[in-house]
Amino acid sequence: MSEFIATFHTHLAAIMADRQLKALGLRSTMLPVPRALSSSCGTAVRYAADSAHIDALGEDAERAYRILPDGKKETYELLYENE
Amino acid sequence: MKKVNWLVVIAGAIVGIAAVLLTVLGNPKNMGFCIACFLRDIAGACKLHGATVVQYVRPEIIGLVLGSCIMALITGEWRSKGGSSPATRFVLGAFVMIGALAFLGCPLRMVIRLGGGDLNALVGLIGFTIGIFIGVQFTKRGFSLKRNYTLAVTEGSVLPALMIGLLILVIAVPSLFNSSEKGPGTMHANMFIALGIALIVGALAQRSRLCMVGGIRDGMMFGDFKLLYGFVAIFLVVLIGNLALGSFKLGFSGQPVAHSDHVWNLLGMLLVGWGSVLLGGCPLRQLILAGEGNGDSAIAVLGMIAGAAFAHNFGLAGAAATAEAAGGVGTNGRIAVILGIAVVLVISLANMPKKEAAKAE
Repeated sequence: MSEFIATFHTHLAAIMADRQLKALGLRSTMLPVPRALSSSCGTAVRYAADSAHIDALGEDAERAYRILPDGKKETYELLYENE
Repeated sequence: MKKVNWLVVIAGAIVGIAAVLLTVLGNPKNMGFCIACFLRDIAGACKLHGATVVQYVRPEIIGLVLGSCIMALITGEWRSKGGSSPATRFVLGAFVMIGALAFLGCPLRMVIRLGGGDLNALVGLIGFTIGIFIGVQFTKRGFSLKRNYTLAVTEGSVLPALMIGLLILVIAVPSLFNSSEKGPGTMHANMFIALGIALIVGALAQRSRLCMVGGIRDGMMFGDFKLLYGFVAIFLVVLIGNLALGSFKLGFSGQPVAHSDHVWNLLGMLLVGWGSVLLGGCPLRQLILAGEGNGDSAIAVLGMIAGAAFAHNFGLAGAAATAEAAGGVGTNGRIAVILGIAVVLVISLANMPKKEAAKAE
């Protein structure tokens, strides 16, 4: 089980992805996009799963990352990008 | 996840120091920074409106946009983006400005006015919070102006280039522009000092994503108060600065560039809060996003400038109280604020998800 975080082109896309992930039985939450990932102020979805479930994120998903614990901080490994 | 982001607090504190400093150096009282007022002054300087007391090319606006632009270029975060309902954003920007000018200040000036003891700003804050709450209800249910796209560099360069052009013109040929001979438009810090301070603030705001709307919105939507601490830091620093300088004055009356028309202070800021949530950020944030290449925010800023021109050409702006008159918002301004709330409601409803998306709920 890993933790993932996805960013989206719209807040609506984040809502839809959050619902899709929950429908798959995954634990997911919406949150403001971490500053380390973007200078914009959109909504991200953080979830725990065995894989990144890119298909569940929808066509307006912008990026998906695997969250790597790094002491007190977290680092992010880019898995998917859709500019 | 909910720990304090010190960068936001430090940025807020420096904005507060800058606001107090700019006032000491000559800006109108409780107006170290005011994005609405300063865009309005620029609109006047460019002869887009004829209110002779509020005409001056405010270098703070130029500095904020270019500070953000330079910082984003240095950090590799500058991106030319746009195409997310631009005409709608123009209209939202215009009505946000009309609401702000009824109250006499953008959300940033509202916080600065609070730090000066102006209780009219507390009324504004209540309206602002209600407006954000309404906007959040639509956002949570899927309101969207649709996604933006990566565009040619020219699109993201429009506002920074306009600001560079304005700066060159006002230095080289100042006689091109109107400049107030009395009133708030005559009160300003030295142009180059104000520009320098705003460059620093713009850069910090880009790094920290400081946003007056974002703090309350994120608190309501996610229980995340990181951005709100920036808002609180500005308030506390301005409060301490005013107390130290002896310029703190608690009350409703006798406040600089303010009026006590409570209903319209509240409704004006309600319009600002609601419209700003739909735009994704307060007027300051729109300047910062435009600086880092966001063409949609540039359109919102141009809408604000047009809104300011309308506000003064059609007598929509609030009148500041004076020793002789109570000031307040006139009939035209009241109608414009109500019309603005109606337009924002229509935009909110018309941009909700269609049935297919709703079914997925």
